[in-house]
Amino acid sequence: MKLTALRLYNVRRFAGQGVAVEGIGDGVNVLCAANEFGKSTCFDALHALFFQPHTGTPGAVQALRPYSGGNPLVEADIATGEGAFRLTKQFYGGRRAMVRERGSGRIIAQADEAERFIARLVQGGTSGPAGLLWVRQGITGIERRSPKDEEGEKRARESVLTSVQGEVESLTGGRRMAQAVAACETELSVLVTATGRPKTGGAYAQAIEERDRLVETEKRLSAEVRELREALDRRRSLRTRLAALDDPDQQGMRLRDLFQAEAAWTTAKAQGEALKTADVEAALARNHLDAARQTLEIYRQNLARHGLLEAREADSLTQRDAAASQQREAREAGQQATRAVEEAEAAEREARDLLSRLEKSMQARAAAEQLARLQHDHARAEAGRVEVETIQAEVKALALPPGAVKQLEAAETALVGLRAAQTAQMPLLRVDYRAGALGTIGLDGVALADGEERALTRQATIEIEGVGTLSLTLPQAREGETGLAEALARRVALLAALGVADLAEARQRESALRDLSGRLDLARQRLTLLAPDGLPALREAIARLEAQSLAATEIKGDPEAVRGSLATAEARVTASRGAQRAAQSARDEAGAAVVAAERALASVTSERAGLVAVLGAADGRAAHEAQLANDLAQAEAILEAAQARVETLRASATDLAGAEAKFRRMRSVVDGAATEIASLREEAAELNGRIRARADAAVEEAWQEVLDRLAAAGTRLGSLEREVALLTRLRDALQTARTQARDHYFAPVMAELRPLLGLLFEGASVTFDEETLLPRTVSRNGLEEPVGLLSGGMREQLAVLTRLAFARLLAKDGQPAPVILDDALVYSDDDRIERMFDALHRQASDQQIIVFSCRQRAFAQLGGTVLRMVPWTPDA
Amino acid sequence: MFRFLHSSDLHIGKRFGNMPEELRGRLREARHGVIDRLAAQARAGGAGTILLAGDCFDTETPSPAMLRQALAAMESHAPLRWIVLPGNHDSLQADELWAAARAALPAHVLLATDASPIALEPGIVVLPAPCTTRRPGRDLTDWLDSAATPDGSLRIGLAHGAIQSFGEDGIGLEIIAPDRAHRAGLDYLALGDWHGQMQIGPRSWYSGAPEPDRFKHDQPGRALLVSLAAPGAMPDVTPVETGSFDWRSLPLDLISGDDAAGLLAERLPLGPVRRQTLLRVIATGRLRPQARAALDAAAAHVAPEFAHLVLETEALATDCESADLDAIDRAGALRQAADLLLAESLDDHRPAGERQAARDGLVRLFTYCEAMPS
Repeated sequence: MKLTALRLYNVRRFAGQGVAVEGIGDGVNVLCAANEFGKSTCFDALHALFFQPHTGTPGAVQALRPYSGGNPLVEADIATGEGAFRLTKQFYGGRRAMVRERGSGRIIAQADEAERFIARLVQGGTSGPAGLLWVRQGITGIERRSPKDEEGEKRARESVLTSVQGEVESLTGGRRMAQAVAACETELSVLVTATGRPKTGGAYAQAIEERDRLVETEKRLSAEVRELREALDRRRSLRTRLAALDDPDQQGMRLRDLFQAEAAWTTAKAQGEALKTADVEAALARNHLDAARQTLEIYRQNLARHGLLEAREADSLTQRDAAASQQREAREAGQQATRAVEEAEAAEREARDLLSRLEKSMQARAAAEQLARLQHDHARAEAGRVEVETIQAEVKALALPPGAVKQLEAAETALVGLRAAQTAQMPLLRVDYRAGALGTIGLDGVALADGEERALTRQATIEIEGVGTLSLTLPQAREGETGLAEALARRVALLAALGVADLAEARQRESALRDLSGRLDLARQRLTLLAPDGLPALREAIARLEAQSLAATEIKGDPEAVRGSLATAEARVTASRGAQRAAQSARDEAGAAVVAAERALASVTSERAGLVAVLGAADGRAAHEAQLANDLAQAEAILEAAQARVETLRASATDLAGAEAKFRRMRSVVDGAATEIASLREEAAELNGRIRARADAAVEEAWQEVLDRLAAAGTRLGSLEREVALLTRLRDALQTARTQARDHYFAPVMAELRPLLGLLFEGASVTFDEETLLPRTVSRNGLEEPVGLLSGGMREQLAVLTRLAFARLLAKDGQPAPVILDDALVYSDDDRIERMFDALHRQASDQQIIVFSCRQRAFAQLGGTVLRMVPWTPDA
Repeated sequence: MFRFLHSSDLHIGKRFGNMPEELRGRLREARHGVIDRLAAQARAGGAGTILLAGDCFDTETPSPAMLRQALAAMESHAPLRWIVLPGNHDSLQADELWAAARAALPAHVLLATDASPIALEPGIVVLPAPCTTRRPGRDLTDWLDSAATPDGSLRIGLAHGAIQSFGEDGIGLEIIAPDRAHRAGLDYLALGDWHGQMQIGPRSWYSGAPEPDRFKHDQPGRALLVSLAAPGAMPDVTPVETGSFDWRSLPLDLISGDDAAGLLAERLPLGPVRRQTLLRVIATGRLRPQARAALDAAAAHVAPEFAHLVLETEALATDCESADLDAIDRAGALRQAADLLLAESLDDHRPAGERQAARDGLVRLFTYCEAMPS
């Protein structure tokens, strides 16, 4: 089929008018116009003509109607193998469809018949092969579209391929293949997940779980069985051991051994005791021997000493007697010396007494003279004292407190100042009498002299003689008055305190005081001269002297002579005393010699007496000594005997420690056997319990069962694994075969597409999607890209080329159909468009291609038949 | 004339954990019920004594209920006399088991727990060789050679263990001398341990398990009825059936083109015995995919009628021809996938696991396509 003309009326923007595109030729036709000139309207109208029934008003038809309403009319001239026809469709009001033969204008078909005619031309509408050769503006056939459109186009592609390549089913196995794949996948999906893992809850996963569970159970049970068998073995050995231990013969033997060891130990213990006793006895004998030996030795020493002492006693007696006689002689010489001393002393005393009395008498005389002098001084001093006291009384009466006069002066000065200040504030009254004036002027009763000034106080009465009185009441200046009153009061208080009338009196008293104190000083100096130590001392001295002079007696004599006789007497005394001291020392020495002799004698005597007491009577001493020697010999014999006994016992003693150790060992053997029997029985009881529990649970049977089940589970798992392997292999084989079949299915369209593609993209190849039957990936330079990631320009070019390829397939199949492109190349640059047009021209050699485009400049140079829209009015 | 029933390996208490849950209880119960069946056969054969040559119990510690119920069952068949020998599963090490058995021992049950002669009655002596441990490591029947018995007595040996390479639990040192009966001058040696019935010598027999517990022996459960006419006379030994469940293996050797499902149907036992049958179908050889899928389906279809049915196909290869692949699709992606899987399954350079997965996948794809309406 080829289009030769298109006309429309009352379509969209062409309300009440019509346009026509005439002279559409073979090959490439280009309708180039600016936007809004109605290119798309032409495309849509043409599309509606071929694909929309005239009776319906679906969206595509509604879109054709002008805003103002009206009935769209579309008309197209076509040429087919059967001839040239004119197709007309009017929608909405006066809806109709009509096919006329162009040459004759004969109506070939109308209404539904016309629709059938048209449908045959496009082979099944949008789903027919021709449907996909219309490429609308902006629709590249690769972007997402409504599922309905998508499905329609897909079916269209399928039908093209089917028509050239035969039924897709026969290639890909079709329904049978799908069923086989579905059956395989259903079976597989029960067992494994999409990723090939055992599916939870599926038989495969269950078999694995079962196997794992049984492995665990088997492990547990085999452990229990092992434990049971070990317990049985252990119990068997326990029983063997118990039987041996419980054997009466062996037990008897053990007890016998024990008793023997005990007896041996007892014997050894007794022997040990005897030896200990003998040891003690020997030690005792040795002590006895030592004592006897010592006793004898001491006795013999004492005897020797006694002999020595007897000789010494005799010597001492002789010495003592000599000393006693010397003492007697010394005593007599001493008595004589004493008597001489007494005589000398008596003479001396007499001389001294006489001299003393003589001197006292002379002293009394000197004292009487002294007394008289002192009594005179005393009288004068007494008078001075009275004078001083008088002056002191006067001074006391006149005395003023220190600084009082100064204070009084200050008060006076302040008062004068205050008064002056007050007076200065007072109004002054001055009287100047006129010369010859008779009368006087008086103030407050006092006449004022000429030129006299008086200060006026609060109230003043001025008497003017011969005239009258003038009473003035003045406002009193208050300030200063208080201070003045205070100062006055202070002065009065001071005066009162001093007891004076005024300052002058105070000063007078001060000067009187100074005079009196001068006199007082003089009187005191006099008194000090007369009685330097004071009057009481003076009186004491007088009293003393009075006493001396009363006691003195008058003695006559020459003091010098008296003193001479006294000196002689004193010399005699001294000489006699020296003689007496010499006699005394002789006596002392003699006494000491006697004492020493007596002491030596007493010492010897007493020692001898002690020894005699020890030694006993002299005649028994030898016998006693013999007795002692005998005792010693006896003790020696006893010791010897004891030592011999010890030696004997020691030699015969058995090994006590060994005997005890053996006894203990035998004891422990017996005890150990008993303990072991007890513990073995205990363990056996415990084992019994364990064995009973396990045996009652028939653990071995359970174990055997689990082993069998494990084997069965392994077998089942193996067969499931085999099943999974076979299903997986089968599915893969089926899918591979189907994919290969599809590739084969796409081969024709690929063959058409490849040269076209080569024009635009050198060395590019394309793979088709099995589901959509559209290019899925593009490979360039060994790089494979999904179509969705290509640029917009490339995608639309690919879409156009794909359609061209399908169109060629159609043409080869004997159903040529025009390819109509409505601004299908919006993203492509001019260079690409040029190359695209090369492709179009190459295609158009046996294919009609109609291009609607607004890209006038780009398309101007492309060649092909240039189409124009011209106004058109349908025949009435 | 002394007549007795010889059995062994009752394995009472075995739980069959590898079997489906619902079957376990029945199998376990069958082991207990074998006591009654043995007693019935003894009575039927005129035997008054039953010798159990070891492994009466599956473990050394059966549950008290299991033990007491077994003893009670034996007691209920008085005056039948039971002689119970410890085997390797219930050796003398199982103190607890034997102590508990002794404590509740019925009058007509004898425990042969000592290696010493048991005079059953005048002139009849049983010489037991009880297992002392799980693995004694020596021939416990040695002592029989020198065991003294009154002159003119029947000497009946009773032992449990492997002879030569026979043994249920592998080979150890505890190998019973094969000529023990001869060496020990025994009139009969009753052996246990091997679950299949087998004669070892003129006077030595394994009785086999009275109730089978595995596919290994492919025999019904049996015991031996033994008659000893006089000392030195040859024993008269007759097998008797005692089993409740039949454990069978069914080999299915297939060649490409066989109708495997049909063959299976022909060979399966018929009727109510299926309920008491545990069947193991071992498919070997080669099979076309459809036939293979049909075999799987047939086995799955018939399985519920059996106590247990397993189809083992590890040794079964799948042959594919172009006609087989056409059943999947003549062309197109499905066919391509099938071709790919087939190539992979035959590619010897690939690991076995991958080849297996490809083979399985192809079979599964056949299954899918079979199910699709064409």
